[in-house]
Amino acid sequence: MNKKTLYNIALGISTEVLYACAIMATAFFICLLFSLKK
Amino acid sequence: MILKPRLEDIKNIGYYLGKVIIALGFTMFIPILMGICAGEINPVLDFVIGLQVTFISGILLTRVCFTGKELNWMQGMIVVSLSWVAAMALGAIPLHLSGHWNSYLDACFDAMSGFATTGLALVQDLDHLSYAHNLWRHLIMFIGGQGIVIVALSFFVRGFSGAFKMYVGEARDERIQPNVVHTARFIWLVSILYLVLGTIALGAAGMLGGMRPFNAFFHGACIFMAAFDTGGFTPHSQSVLYYHSLPFEILTIIFMILGAINFRLHYHIWNGNRREVVKNIETVFFFVVATAIFFIVCAGLAQTNLYVNAPTLFRKGFYQLISAQTGTGYQTIYAAQFSNEWNHLSLVALILAMSLGGAVCSTTGAIKMLRLGIVYKALTQDIKRIILPEKAIVVKRYHHIKEVFLEDDVARSALAITISYIIVYLAGAFVGMFFGYPFLHSLFESTSAAANVGLSCGITKTTMPWLLKITYMIQMWAGRLEFMSVFTLIGFFVAAIKGKR
Repeated sequence: MNKKTLYNIALGISTEVLYACAIMATAFFICLLFSLKK
Repeated sequence: MILKPRLEDIKNIGYYLGKVIIALGFTMFIPILMGICAGEINPVLDFVIGLQVTFISGILLTRVCFTGKELNWMQGMIVVSLSWVAAMALGAIPLHLSGHWNSYLDACFDAMSGFATTGLALVQDLDHLSYAHNLWRHLIMFIGGQGIVIVALSFFVRGFSGAFKMYVGEARDERIQPNVVHTARFIWLVSILYLVLGTIALGAAGMLGGMRPFNAFFHGACIFMAAFDTGGFTPHSQSVLYYHSLPFEILTIIFMILGAINFRLHYHIWNGNRREVVKNIETVFFFVVATAIFFIVCAGLAQTNLYVNAPTLFRKGFYQLISAQTGTGYQTIYAAQFSNEWNHLSLVALILAMSLGGAVCSTTGAIKMLRLGIVYKALTQDIKRIILPEKAIVVKRYHHIKEVFLEDDVARSALAITISYIIVYLAGAFVGMFFGYPFLHSLFESTSAAANVGLSCGITKTTMPWLLKITYMIQMWAGRLEFMSVFTLIGFFVAAIKGKR
């Protein structure tokens, strides 16, 4: 594996983890809405 | 006119089935090594017996059924469906010998649950199970998530046309690379790389939580394998609740979502096409569906005033939702809490999440986002055709790696599989109700089994009727293989009885 491949894999993993974090952040925002509603 | 299967069909099936069984046998060396390192002599002997039975079966089949022919489509599908039954039966041997399962049927239930990455379990005294047996439970989940046939394709199967037929039979029809053996090896690359990173992350989280280093990394590896393969087994009986650790929960949520991503999408993202994550129909639908269903779950939980603050609602509500949607089955609440504390609205929302699942060609089960997206696009296309002038041409597209025009046969195929899943969910629910369980709980457990999720509201236990155990085992098997291989096997037996020469 060359440097460019490793770089792409690292960025790819970061992108996927960011996608997961975006889902979690949206869910936490919904949790905040419901907790503030009370 | 249905033709009776010929001897050469049976020999070809037997030969390739034998190869898959031999590949499975090699994987048993891993828990043997674990047992030797941990000083567990009896568990090592359990696996040595299992290994011998597996190798003898596989070698006998390959010798008796030796053939130089390639597989055709029917034979490939049957090899896959029988491989899973053989894996269940042989993988259950060391489990049953451990004494932690009340019967061989219970051990087969857990073996099928492991290979099908479901996570429903009948194990007794899990907290005192040996390291070797615990590793085996998680390893079969890792193997099953990738695919038993993928293991064989990576190392054992010669010839490419037969290989592709088995690959498709295991509910993977996405060509990641032109060569199916290279595709199989790419799937392993993603899994192994994430395994290393995931074990380190979870091990560190475990050590921060006070666990000893060996235990932290052992648990980290096991939890990662079951999270990324959206399986749901844990080394202890209380699922992820055992750890009482926010870092563990956050990390497992990330790994569950990563496991629910299409391996073809992993390939394109890892090759520089990172924008695909926001353009792909599956990732977009997964985001939207998970958010929408979580809204409904929160609305239901708000009525019960169960989790009053945002962090608790996230750790108890969202965790269960994402576990259901990705088909993992990890729980941060007890099974009885689903029945006793969650109201019907939140339970139904969870059933909906379980029934829909993650991406195709990922480790999740259920209907899957691509099919949901296709059905949605087909529906909007039909509505537009009605609303717009008769002479208007309505063309629907969706983005899945590239722009794809929606064709009628694709929509029909997606709808057929969707309807098959719904029928299986309901059929299992009827069997549960036959044995006296309430409708909603029966539907919950049935959907959990058929969609290979593993969340339980309390029905799955050793005292449940044996017929219900077999029903869930068949559902797990059929759901994992997305029916085609199973239907082909049934058709093969019908042809053997009623076919003409």
